[in-house]
Amino acid sequence: MNGKKVLVIGLDCAPPELLFNGFIDDLPNLKKLLQHGVHARMKSTHPPITIPAWMVMATSKSMGKLGLYGFRHRKPGTYNEIWLANSYSVKEKIVWDILGDRGKKVIVVGVPPSYPPRPVNGCLISCFMTPSTEKDYTYPKELKQEIENLVGEYIVDVVFRTEEKDQMLKQLYDMTEKRFKVIGYLMKNKPWDFLMFVEIGVDRIHHAFWKFFDKQHHLYQPRNKYENVMKEYYQFVDNEIGKLLKLIDKNTTVIVVSDHGAKRMTGAFSINEWLIKKGYLVLKKSPKKIVSVQEAEVDWSKTKAWGWGGYHARVFLNVRGREPQGIIDPKDYKKYRNRLIADLEAIRGPNGEEWDTKVYTPEQIYPDGKGDYPDLTVYYDDLRWRSAGTIGYASPYLSENDKGPDDAVHSHYGVFVLYDPNKKEGKRIGDISILDVAPTILEIMGIPVPLDMEGKVVKEAL
Amino acid sequence: MEEKKVEEQGCVIWITGLPASGKSTIAEGVKKQLRARGLKVEVFDGDEVRKNLSKGLGFSKEDRDTHNKRVIYVCRLLTRNGVNALVSLISPYRSTRAYARVQLPKFVEVYLKCSLEECKRRDPKGLYKKALAGEITNMTGIQDPYEEPLTPEVTLNTENDSPQRNVKKVLEKLRNLGYIN
Repeated sequence: MNGKKVLVIGLDCAPPELLFNGFIDDLPNLKKLLQHGVHARMKSTHPPITIPAWMVMATSKSMGKLGLYGFRHRKPGTYNEIWLANSYSVKEKIVWDILGDRGKKVIVVGVPPSYPPRPVNGCLISCFMTPSTEKDYTYPKELKQEIENLVGEYIVDVVFRTEEKDQMLKQLYDMTEKRFKVIGYLMKNKPWDFLMFVEIGVDRIHHAFWKFFDKQHHLYQPRNKYENVMKEYYQFVDNEIGKLLKLIDKNTTVIVVSDHGAKRMTGAFSINEWLIKKGYLVLKKSPKKIVSVQEAEVDWSKTKAWGWGGYHARVFLNVRGREPQGIIDPKDYKKYRNRLIADLEAIRGPNGEEWDTKVYTPEQIYPDGKGDYPDLTVYYDDLRWRSAGTIGYASPYLSENDKGPDDAVHSHYGVFVLYDPNKKEGKRIGDISILDVAPTILEIMGIPVPLDMEGKVVKEAL
Repeated sequence: MEEKKVEEQGCVIWITGLPASGKSTIAEGVKKQLRARGLKVEVFDGDEVRKNLSKGLGFSKEDRDTHNKRVIYVCRLLTRNGVNALVSLISPYRSTRAYARVQLPKFVEVYLKCSLEECKRRDPKGLYKKALAGEITNMTGIQDPYEEPLTPEVTLNTENDSPQRNVKKVLEKLRNLGYIN
């Protein structure tokens, strides 16, 4: 241990295309970190999703090792029952636990999933999954009152899949302003060696406003009133970051990270509508309106596969002995799965254009995976098309998300910026992995990296 | 198996240092003191443990890591049942000991500081002699590195201080940490 401190600024969903290029000239504080620090694209998880990407980053353990494959998981042996990840789903030691065990004081704000708030050697405010600020969302419990004395009602998240754009924006700014005010207060008033926070607002603005900013987006309209909203929000966040940077000393290394990137959504593709057309999914009765597969009358005795929506598709096979009415003989599992993979990979776009669809088996992306992973993970046209889980459409190709307006999808690379105030020369280095962040933090703070962390120290950045 | 609360778990006293730095002597001394207090103690000492847990493994980094991981796993089983473990292994790599620390809730790293010259002079098993003659390879301190602990709970000077004094220091630390009365 060496008395060094680390401040980790998490910008959920911030893509290198915007942070290193697109907006950077209008973000003076982040630009300074880039110019005098080391930056790299950071490969996210497979698939690139908030839960569990932040925890993969903070534990340096892959999704398979964590046994976390998203926010929702199918309960084994059921068709429609799910369990949701929360802070207690993370069984591996998180970097702030390791630091806390060595006597380091930590502050953690909004790193998903951190609800319910678990004890740390310092203080913690839970993430966007907090069901309501009427619940206890801090550790220690008394911190909640301190926060509310400071900012009034604290905001963990905003409703972002809405057409009420002005209202959403107002809420978003309100949330972010309060969060940064709280972080500044904690930095000044609580002891800390390690502070990590995540601003979820960056993700929300992408999903709510991407089509207004991206001229290539299929729903973009020139000279729309929200054209600059995304950049202005980034500028606001940058300004808030600038205030925090004034509070640190030469002994503090600053790391800016995102859990994954973002890009424009081209459309949504109804996985189950397609599975029906291909004969993998059989309904007893066609729905008269748009319904989820859970609500539909599925004939499980004839169904071989069904899927879930999201930024990627999760596909499950109906296997005898595993599912309640499974029909695929376990010895034919790979045969059916391979056939389905070939069919999924052959999907073309609505106008017959070729797609760069990627389909992964658990063996490929979770070689030692445990827990409840899907049989297949699918990225339509490399995630440009999101997956819709609902059915009842004339065509599987949808121009909008089925669960409310959403203009952006996730992309594979997030950002990594490391700024040591004692160094002046900035540089860009080759891509790093999301697994490399926790070991790098430990190395900076002079704490040996445990053997089972899967990433490596980003030596070029130190 | 249900894990006991941390207070009820045994601790792991992980003694690390160069070959011939005095690990077995300290482990033996601490064991006697703990048993005299009526505590359950199991000792994991280099050669004996290797013979039983890791027969066939060598001394490359990979094999050492595998061996140490097995010891850590067994320690975890013992300590969660209230047994204390005294581990006396060279365990030359920081990452291995850091892994032990995250796996074992009550972990006490004891570093035996003794110069390489003194260890070579002692050489009770003749290993340094063999290594210097090129008869064995992967010898810590000769061909392989020993990564000193950065922040061990206890550092013992086994070059100049007596084993009795050093054992006492370990017990004092265990008392300070609340692991023994």
